[in-house]
Amino acid sequence: MAAVQTETVTLTVNGQSVTVPKGTLILDAAKEVGIDIPIFCSHPKMAPVAVCRMCLVEVEKMPKLQPACAVYVADGMVVKTVTDQVNKYQKGVLEFLLINHPLDCPICDKGGECPLQDQTYQYGPGASRFTFDKAHFDKAVPLSDRIVLDRERCILCWRCTRFSEEISGERELALIQRGVHTIIGTYNDEPAQSNYQGNWTEICPVGALTSRQYRFISRPWDLDRTASVCPGCAMGCNIQIDARNNKIGRFQSRENVAVDDSWLCDYGRYSFPNFQRESQERPRIRRNGALEEVSFDEAIGFAADQLTQAGGQVAGWASPSDTNEELFLFRRLFRDVFQSPHLDHRPGALPDPEPEDTSLPIADIEHLDHAILLGGQEVIDAAPVLHLRLFKSQRKGLIVHKVGVGEGKKALDAVPAEAQAVGVLATEANKSAAVELQSRLSKKVKGSVRRLMITTGPNGRGAKDLGILPHLGPGYVSLNGQSGKGRVEWPGAGLRAVYIHESSPLHAFATSDAESMWLPGLPLLIYHRFKSSPLDDLAHVIIPGHAFTEKDGTVTNMEGRVQRIKTAIDAAWVREDWRVMQAIANRLGAGWTYADVAEITAELVRALPPYAAVNQAERVTWSENR
Amino acid sequence: MAGVKETLLGPIYIARAMLTTLKHNRKPIVTIEYPERQKPVPPRERGRHILHRYADGLEKCVGCELCAIACPVGCIVVEAAENTPEHRVSPGERYAKRYEINLLRCIYCGLCEEACPYDAITMGPRYDLADDHPDKFIAVKEDLLEPLSASISDTALPTAAPSAQPVARKW
Repeated sequence: MAAVQTETVTLTVNGQSVTVPKGTLILDAAKEVGIDIPIFCSHPKMAPVAVCRMCLVEVEKMPKLQPACAVYVADGMVVKTVTDQVNKYQKGVLEFLLINHPLDCPICDKGGECPLQDQTYQYGPGASRFTFDKAHFDKAVPLSDRIVLDRERCILCWRCTRFSEEISGERELALIQRGVHTIIGTYNDEPAQSNYQGNWTEICPVGALTSRQYRFISRPWDLDRTASVCPGCAMGCNIQIDARNNKIGRFQSRENVAVDDSWLCDYGRYSFPNFQRESQERPRIRRNGALEEVSFDEAIGFAADQLTQAGGQVAGWASPSDTNEELFLFRRLFRDVFQSPHLDHRPGALPDPEPEDTSLPIADIEHLDHAILLGGQEVIDAAPVLHLRLFKSQRKGLIVHKVGVGEGKKALDAVPAEAQAVGVLATEANKSAAVELQSRLSKKVKGSVRRLMITTGPNGRGAKDLGILPHLGPGYVSLNGQSGKGRVEWPGAGLRAVYIHESSPLHAFATSDAESMWLPGLPLLIYHRFKSSPLDDLAHVIIPGHAFTEKDGTVTNMEGRVQRIKTAIDAAWVREDWRVMQAIANRLGAGWTYADVAEITAELVRALPPYAAVNQAERVTWSENR
Repeated sequence: MAGVKETLLGPIYIARAMLTTLKHNRKPIVTIEYPERQKPVPPRERGRHILHRYADGLEKCVGCELCAIACPVGCIVVEAAENTPEHRVSPGERYAKRYEINLLRCIYCGLCEEACPYDAITMGPRYDLADDHPDKFIAVKEDLLEPLSASISDTALPTAAPSAQPVARKW
C-alpha cells in the first residue's frame, strides 16, 4: 500500500512550493502549506464529487477554474487560490447557495459552528441581489426519532447521501427530484433505521440535519468541551463531551484514526442522558431496616466496620466501566486488605481471557484479506462502529464472512488456503469457538490468523488486564491455587458481604434469577454506584460515586489501547470513588497515601509495565513484554 | 456700635431676603414629588429591558442568545426550547424557555438591543430599580415581558408612575 505512494510531485500553491505524494488532491496539497481552500461537499473520508463548486481555484494553463477537491496534483502545477477571478467565483457560488437558504441562523442549531456561516463571512458577498421570494420546503421533518431534517437549509452537498453509500453502506438517504426541487430523504419517507445517523449531523455543513436530543439545547460558544472516551461499548471511540451549565448536551466524535476513524454509532452518541445526575444525594446506611442519610466519613466507617466483621468472606464486583485506577485500587482492596479472592467484573460466566485476545488491532482490519464475524450481526451489535471499519475495508477488497457461532466449518471452507491475513472477530462469550476456529484456520491458511475479542463495557479489557477476576492476577498471571469464586458461584458460596462498584448505568450489576434470590438474605451489601437502581432496596450501605463522565482516569478498549477520560461534569460534592476505596482500606490499616489519580496511574504503570502505553495512548501489548 | 447698626438694618435684610423668596415663588418649580410622581424620560432612554410581543400575544424572542453573546458584561442568560402545537410561545420553532438579566451587572449599554435579529429586546424607560436584596435584581422572563394586554402607552412609561405630566402647583 505504501509502495504505491512513494512517487512524489512538486507543485506551487500561491507561490509556495510543496512536495506531496502523487495522487494527492490540490486541496490537501494546499493544506500542507497552511493554505485554506473553502469547501462544502468535500470530506476527507469520502470520494470527491465536486458538486458545491466552492473550492474553485486557478490552475495555470487550464482554461477555467478547477475544483481543488477533485483535481489531482501534477508535477510543475501552479495553483493560485487568491485571485480576483477566484474571489469573484467564490462570491458567486455563495450568493447562489444563499438564494434559497432561509438564513434562519438565530434558530438554527448549527449557528456558530456552521461552515456556510463562516465561509459567507470570509468569502461571501455582503448582500444578496436576489429580490424574489425564496423557495420554501418542509422544515423540522423528523427523519427518525433521532434526526430532524430542515430541507430549506440544505445546500445539496451530498455529504450525508455519500456517507450512507460510501461509509455505512446502508444507502438510506438519497437525493430525490431534480433542480431546485431536489430534496434529501429516505425511501418512501420511512423513518431512517441506521445506527450511524448521528454522523450525518456532524458532516452536514449547514443546519439541515440536526440531532433531536441536542435540539435548541445550547449555542456552540456556551459549551464546555472535554476530550473523553465513549462509555457505550468496548470499542473505545474518542468523543468530545459538550456540556452546558454542567449538564451534558451532546457527545461529538473526536477523530482517532486507529480506533473510530472519526465516526460514532448512535448507541454511544445518544447514550449521554444515562449520565445525567438527578439529585445531590448523600450516602445512606441501613439502620433498623430503614435507610438514613449520613456523611461520607460515617458511611465509610460503617462499611469498614461491617466488612471487618465479615472476615475474608467478602466478594467484590467492579463494573467494566470503571477506570483502570479504580480497578487497581479495588483489586488491592480485596487481595491485600480483605484477603479475599472473590473478585469479578463479568456479567456472568465467560471463558477465560488471555492477552492473545487482542492480537488483531482495530485498524489492522483494513489490511486483512478475510474477516470472519463469528456470531454475525451479534458482533456488530456489540461494537457498532466496527461495521464502518469493516465496510471501509470491504471497499478495499476485504471479504467478510458472517457466520453463526456453530458454523465454524462454513467459515473454514470459505477462506482459501492462500489468504495472507485473516481475522476472527467474536464477542468474548463466544471465545472458545473463536479460538478453535483460529487454530483450525492457522493450519489451513498460509498467512497470519489473528483474533479480536469484543469485551463488555468501555473498560472490560482493563478489568481483565488488572486482574478483576477470581482466578487470574494482573497481567493474566496464575494465582497458584489462590483462586476465588466467580460471580456465578457467589449465590450459595457462604459469602457474608458483597461490595458492588459501578459507574455507568449502561454496564450495571444486573441481577440474575439466582442472585435475586440470594441478595436479600445477604448480611451486608455495599453499593457504591453512580445511579440508583433496584439494588438500592437491598443495600445496607449506599455510597454515591462519580459517573463515567465525571471522573479522571484511563480505560482500555477491546484492542488494549489505553485512553484517558477526563472530568466533563463537575460533581465535586461526591467523594471520588478511589478516595472512598482508599478510606475504607485505611480504616482497615492499609496506609495508602494516594493524593490524586495521576499517582495511582503511576503506581499502576510500575506494577504493570505494559501499561506505560497509557502515556502514548498506545495499545498494551503483553506478549512482547513477557 | 456695630450691634446697634445691625439691629437697625435688620428689617432691611429681612425684606431683601423675602423679596428673593417672593421672586422665586413666581417661577415654575423644578422638583417633583418622587416617587409618587415621575418625570417623562427621553424617548431613547436606556432603562430596564423589555421583551416584546407580537400583536397576537406571541413572544418575539426566539432564544438565539445573540444578546447574551453581544453583552460586554455577560449579564444575560438564555436557554431555548422548542415550541409544540400544545405549548406555543413564539411563532417559529424555537422560544426562550429561560431569559434572565442580572440588572446589577448590566451596564445599560444597549448592545443586546442592537444584536437582536427580531427586535425582541429593547431598552425601556424604567429606571427606578432600587431594591433591598441582590437576588431581586435578577430580572427573569416574567419581569421583562410586556404584559399580554399591553397597549403601547403602557410599556412606554414606567408602570409605577401614575403620571409623567408636568406637576401642577398645589398652591
